[in-house]
Amino acid sequence: MARKQQPALPQAAITPDEEQAQAEALFNSIGDGAIAADEFGKITRINPTALHILGFTEAEMLGQWFPSTIIAVTENGSIVNIIDRPITKAFLTGKPVSEKVYYLKKNGQRIPVASTVSPIIHNNRPIGAIDVFRDITLEYEIDRMKSEFISLASHQLRTPLSSIKTYSHMLSDGYMGEVTHAQREALRTIINATNRMNELISTLLNITRIESGTIAVSSKMISVDKLVQDVVKDLEVQAGDKNIDITIKLPSTPVRVKTDSLIAKEILSNLIANSLKYTPEGGSIQVRVQRKKNSIVVVVKDNGVGIPKYSQDQIFTKFFRAPNVLKYETTGTGLGLYLVKGLTEQIGGRIWFESEEGKGSTFFLSLPTPKRAPQNKAISGQ
Amino acid sequence: MDGKMTLYARVVRITHVYLGPAADRFIARQVQNHLHKQPEELSEKDLKQLIDWIRVAVSLLTEDSEIVEEYVEQLRALVKESQKV
Repeated sequence: MARKQQPALPQAAITPDEEQAQAEALFNSIGDGAIAADEFGKITRINPTALHILGFTEAEMLGQWFPSTIIAVTENGSIVNIIDRPITKAFLTGKPVSEKVYYLKKNGQRIPVASTVSPIIHNNRPIGAIDVFRDITLEYEIDRMKSEFISLASHQLRTPLSSIKTYSHMLSDGYMGEVTHAQREALRTIINATNRMNELISTLLNITRIESGTIAVSSKMISVDKLVQDVVKDLEVQAGDKNIDITIKLPSTPVRVKTDSLIAKEILSNLIANSLKYTPEGGSIQVRVQRKKNSIVVVVKDNGVGIPKYSQDQIFTKFFRAPNVLKYETTGTGLGLYLVKGLTEQIGGRIWFESEEGKGSTFFLSLPTPKRAPQNKAISGQ
Repeated sequence: MDGKMTLYARVVRITHVYLGPAADRFIARQVQNHLHKQPEELSEKDLKQLIDWIRVAVSLLTEDSEIVEEYVEQLRALVKESQKV
């Protein structure tokens, strides 16, 4: 049976005045600070939250030039270059720009804010910008306290752990009398668990250091060939337990790079250990070193479980674990690749991957090589 | 001599007075970001839109709106020139 067509509802008639009143109410009632500027960068509107956050009165801000009134500073207190400010970037790119910066209040106090600046475009013409920002002092403080807690707890946990490990080794090695086979097996389990806990503490400490910006990077020339060989050697036992074959492919001439050897080792260990975790028994892993124009790329390729497409953009996120790996490795923390990414950025490198579920993953670690100084032709020609 | 210069080069020449060595890169980015074109593809009909974007961007680099207007006026003169031709 054909349905009777409903008559179209009459359009609610909104006058321009009503529309403006609605926009004004919206602007004034949002919980974030909002400041609008015209095409000359002059402040045209401020909402009560922005006034409250910054400590100005409306009269002190209206008509003022945005960059000189809303002063943005960096974490160490230096003024952000005007070209690097979100509002300038929004005008230069024509797109919304979101960043965390510090704004100076009228009394000079510095407050961290999460700011999003969008250009206002009317009839295809830029006519101003709007900065919507949120005071994130509390978030910063909670984050700092969390990092401090993890750091303190991790340090405190390490001391008793090293005692457990030392005494377990002494017992197992017979320093305190004969041990039965069953006792030795039990001690091995204790030692393995202690090692795992030590690794977890190291990961947490490293993450805390990265997030608080206190990680120390000490670069020197290292041999990438040796780095790869050392890491693979360290993981030989684990690979043997799962009957996984790790092959190394190196360029014909030695590869050297200037980087922090400990950090680079940590990154590579994590990548290869990850491959070992998620590659089924009898699988294979290939570690290849490639020389590129401005970098050295270490490639870790496995034929493991792979990463599902829908999880790929979250793989470097803290505590993230792809659903398909949970059945293989239930004890993972989801911190490994987050740490790898953080450490890679600390040494100026880059990390990316290609993966297909059920077929395997390939991770690429790129380490920058120092640029060579241009040679003087007159001198080199002598 | 101006007749032999591309439109892009003329915009950069005017901008150089105000932004110095940053002029070329600044205009190139404006053309690429807002007009989605390569600098050498800049045409007379793009000028009006380009000037709008240049004005807001430069207004955040200096508080002196007279200088901004003076600069924009010189760019607008290019539009008039091109209309005469």
